[in-house]
Amino acid sequence: MSENMDRGSSQPDEAHMSIQSRSNPSDIPHMSDGQVWDQASRNHSIHTCLMEMVLSLQQAVADHITQLATRHQQQDLVPEEQGHNQPIWGQEALLGRLMFQMVNHLQFGATGGQKFQPPCPSEDSKGDVRSREQAQVSKQIYKIFYQLTNFEDTSINYVLSNRGVETSALYHGSFQDYNTYQGNKYHEDKNTSGFINLGTSENKLCTDLLTERLSRSDMNYIDDDLLQYSDWRGQPFLREEVAQFLTYYCKAPAPLDPENVVVLNGCSSVFSALATVLCDPGEAFLVPTPTYSDFVFSAHLYAKVDLVPVDLESQVSDANTHPFQLTVDKLEQALLNAKLEGKKVRGLVLINPQNPLGHIYSQDSLMEYLEFAKKHSLHVIIDEIYMLSVFDESITFRSVLSMESLPDPNKTHMIWGTSKDFGISGFRFGTLYTHNKEVALAMSSFGYLHGISGITQYKLHRLLQDREWIDNVYLPTNHSRLQEAHRFITNELKSSKIPFLSHGSGLYVWISLRKYLDPCTFEEELLLHRRFLDKKLILSCGKTFMCKEPGWFRLVFAATPLLLKHAMQRFYTVLVEQEQDWVVKQLEDAINQEVEDLPASDASQSYSREVILTSGLEGCCSDLGL
Amino acid sequence: MPRPRPSSPYSARSPSPMFTLPQKESRKPTTCPGSVSTRGLHSIYGDGLEREAARKPDQKLLYGVGDPTAMFSSDSPHLSSRGSIIKWFWDSAEEGYRTYHMDEYDEDKNPGGIINLGTSENKLCFDLLSRRLSHSDMLRVEPSLLQYPDWRGHLFLREEVASFLSFYCKSPAPLKPENVVVLNGCASLFSALATVLCEVGEAFLIPAPYYGAITQHVYLYGNVRLVCVYLDSEVTGLETHPFQLTVDKLEMALQGAISEGVKVKGLILINPQNPLGDIYSPGELREYLEFAKRHALHVMVDEVYMLSVFEESVGYRSVLSLEGLPDPQKTHVMWATSKDFGMSGLRFGTLYTENQDVATAVASLCRYHGLSGFVQYQMAQLLRDRDWINQVYLPENHARLKAAHTYVSEELRALGVPFLSHGAGFFIWVDLRKFLPEATFEEERLLWRRFLENKVLLSFGKAFECKEPGWFRLVFSDKAHRLRLGMQRIRQVLEGKSQVAEDPPSCQTQEPRGPHR
Repeated sequence: MSENMDRGSSQPDEAHMSIQSRSNPSDIPHMSDGQVWDQASRNHSIHTCLMEMVLSLQQAVADHITQLATRHQQQDLVPEEQGHNQPIWGQEALLGRLMFQMVNHLQFGATGGQKFQPPCPSEDSKGDVRSREQAQVSKQIYKIFYQLTNFEDTSINYVLSNRGVETSALYHGSFQDYNTYQGNKYHEDKNTSGFINLGTSENKLCTDLLTERLSRSDMNYIDDDLLQYSDWRGQPFLREEVAQFLTYYCKAPAPLDPENVVVLNGCSSVFSALATVLCDPGEAFLVPTPTYSDFVFSAHLYAKVDLVPVDLESQVSDANTHPFQLTVDKLEQALLNAKLEGKKVRGLVLINPQNPLGHIYSQDSLMEYLEFAKKHSLHVIIDEIYMLSVFDESITFRSVLSMESLPDPNKTHMIWGTSKDFGISGFRFGTLYTHNKEVALAMSSFGYLHGISGITQYKLHRLLQDREWIDNVYLPTNHSRLQEAHRFITNELKSSKIPFLSHGSGLYVWISLRKYLDPCTFEEELLLHRRFLDKKLILSCGKTFMCKEPGWFRLVFAATPLLLKHAMQRFYTVLVEQEQDWVVKQLEDAINQEVEDLPASDASQSYSREVILTSGLEGCCSDLGL
Repeated sequence: MPRPRPSSPYSARSPSPMFTLPQKESRKPTTCPGSVSTRGLHSIYGDGLEREAARKPDQKLLYGVGDPTAMFSSDSPHLSSRGSIIKWFWDSAEEGYRTYHMDEYDEDKNPGGIINLGTSENKLCFDLLSRRLSHSDMLRVEPSLLQYPDWRGHLFLREEVASFLSFYCKSPAPLKPENVVVLNGCASLFSALATVLCEVGEAFLIPAPYYGAITQHVYLYGNVRLVCVYLDSEVTGLETHPFQLTVDKLEMALQGAISEGVKVKGLILINPQNPLGDIYSPGELREYLEFAKRHALHVMVDEVYMLSVFEESVGYRSVLSLEGLPDPQKTHVMWATSKDFGMSGLRFGTLYTENQDVATAVASLCRYHGLSGFVQYQMAQLLRDRDWINQVYLPENHARLKAAHTYVSEELRALGVPFLSHGAGFFIWVDLRKFLPEATFEEERLLWRRFLENKVLLSFGKAFECKEPGWFRLVFSDKAHRLRLGMQRIRQVLEGKSQVAEDPPSCQTQEPRGPHR
């Protein structure tokens, strides 16, 4: 049976029919979910999908009723026999699942369909805010449905808690296609038709350097201490190294204190734990948007903290001297609005260098934001995870830890990790530096849950300690490679007249594809995103960064030149298609208008229409000059 | 700056009733078997308050750190309400451990330092492990290990775990990699499972005494409670051994919890048990699983000591070896290398569940519980090396555990101290009730403090939520010289008890909590 499913039939009816005959109801939850509908949604529009679902739901309901009738008869005869409940149970689970899926589709159908929007491939884009509401609604329906069908208090208990269902829904919504990508990665020799991922913000330009450095013999030290429980805040030797490292690279006015360092397995973990100790459930942080969407995820999943967006705009005006500028006025406004809505705001989250904009906050702006926070006694969480990825030398990045006097040091918390700056996201290392001992101690409790292996801590300690290698080998090479890749991409974008924002830092450019959207809506943005996916190119769309304006995409350029070249070919192909479709649509509209005006003359009509279409396409191609 | 408490689940459980009301009653030793006590997260630590109440005011200053009332009478200006509770956890939980760290025994540098027989770690095989982990096959660095992983764990590792568990748990059919989720330790696994199986405020049943840290693991993020199923040392009725878990006790605890309006979603079993060292027979295990199935409860079976059964006659059976589990979709098995491979610092744990909904939900939290690609690679190499495990590591480890166990149990016998031990785990459950002038937890703590003053750290029964005062857990999996010294110091305390008792407690002494891992 499961083989049947795995083949991914695009005929849901057939698939579900076969499921109904399963004897083990517990298999139901694994079924169809991904494969069938993924397949289906690739081939059909969202409406077709829904129609098919409704049909199969109808079929399932009919079967269910038949079964019920049969069972009641049987029960009269053999009331005790448990076995008869099994197919019924299975059908109920199936019905629930179908409803669940339909709700998913309906929720996302409005904006283009969830399956049309696999934010997954982008590490950063896993937190579509909307999926939260979606999950909540669908789990309610799921629940209501079970309550309705739970006519006897037998074994029907859905396995997961509400938050478990929601977590799962998020996972399903966002990881399915990431896994597809994992299973079908582009490889320059072996798999040239695989997915190219310019969605996940990973630096793959220096794996040779890192591999070499990490293979050196000094990395392979094993000690009893590394194998035992250690200080849950992180091994003292690593915290000392981190303190020294940050003192040096952040240019701290005074040596930083290892006691203020907390080391956990990744910045997501740091953020999750920090949100938990700073906020109670339902409280909120302000966050300028577009923003790194992992924080939306991490604020929500465990911590149940909300993010209140401070919407920034691309339009330049008097109050907005550059696109997406963050000003204190906007912060004040957002805070006020949140208060009016009864939200308890506990802090402000800043990312510097910004992700996805690539902005760097000047020291003055930073000071303004910090003063604003102090005025409202808000915590400030500053994520400086790209601080060493500022590859344009003309730009001066200033870490918050470099400031002589912080307005409110007890409420200023800095996050850093090696994932981006050293391109080792698989290492799982993140660190918090806070002047607030109380916060550091509260965070320490999470060492149990976000601990790093002693062996890894040792390697990190060696890596961070090797200033000579970092300063003379790694950073110069990394910066020049980033620069080169950046130059390639920006030249490409300039030559095809695609507007973009980039400020010489980070691993990505923020591009505007608004002119390819008609109308300029998030639905169209998702469709375009989907088109890229169809051509095996993964980008992150603006929606996943909580961007207020449709049409923005983040493109990660920290990849090899060859990969970038292939990626850009796919990129242009999609844009050409997008334009062609636009032309076709225009022509169809025009023709339909004509058809209404003209008397019916079918043969000539269809002929002339074809001609027009073909010439339209040619025109479109030449317009783009491709 | 004071701020209004939000209307969150946390405010409903405002600290004062939390720390007083539920405990006064449940804390009394009761003779009723299987009596139930619904425990908030804090109740296990709550005796700090009792002690505080009993303490004379002039001594109060000595114990500022672990004082929950002080903690909660003033709202922290920087932390959320739950943040304050979490910090308090840390303060109370880690102080004992840190006291030990400040004065750790070292043969050369600090021979007068504290010997730690409290933390359940196997320190007998570091030589074997260091050597194995330094083999050249461990040192590979591949770019894919540097990048974002599959959050369930790298496939190569999950395959290795499945095959490893199939072999060592003697599963009737090969276990599947897709049912495996890999994360950074069993603490994380408890946290993730609590979150995806329970709503805020719901509960798991757990037979007590139990490994106390679970309380914190299920609370920190999950805000899930534990309902203790109290076991006692007296053998009554049809029981065959002390602290026996029976279905009756489970039923009574469950009904008790329900009558108090607590929604129970699952049952936690630790097998081999910590701290009792008990091993559940397949028959017993099946009864517990049937009980869970009757009440539609999940069962989380923590088998983290499964390869640390050093007495071959014991006949340990993993739950994964059972043919036809009563409710396979609700049976979730946990294992890790912390104990069986003596690498608690490695942070590797794994879940095996046939339930894909649960696996997926746990995996979706794994971005917060990931472990380095390198370590995943090394673990796969380690678990794959059956020759080394079967011919070198396990025989040697078991022989060393047995020798240490023999030594300690003989010492205890010589001291006339009763104890429980079943040839599994790293610890002996020691009955020091006769050394308490009064059967109270206050006295238990005083005795514990005398041990600490005599530079030997043990874990006392209260930390395991044992309802009878006077039980201690003694970890024996340590090197001979430390063990000898530790036992010597224990002997001194027990024999010279009256003399030590007259000394006032030292102001340096901190509260014990942390080491009971």
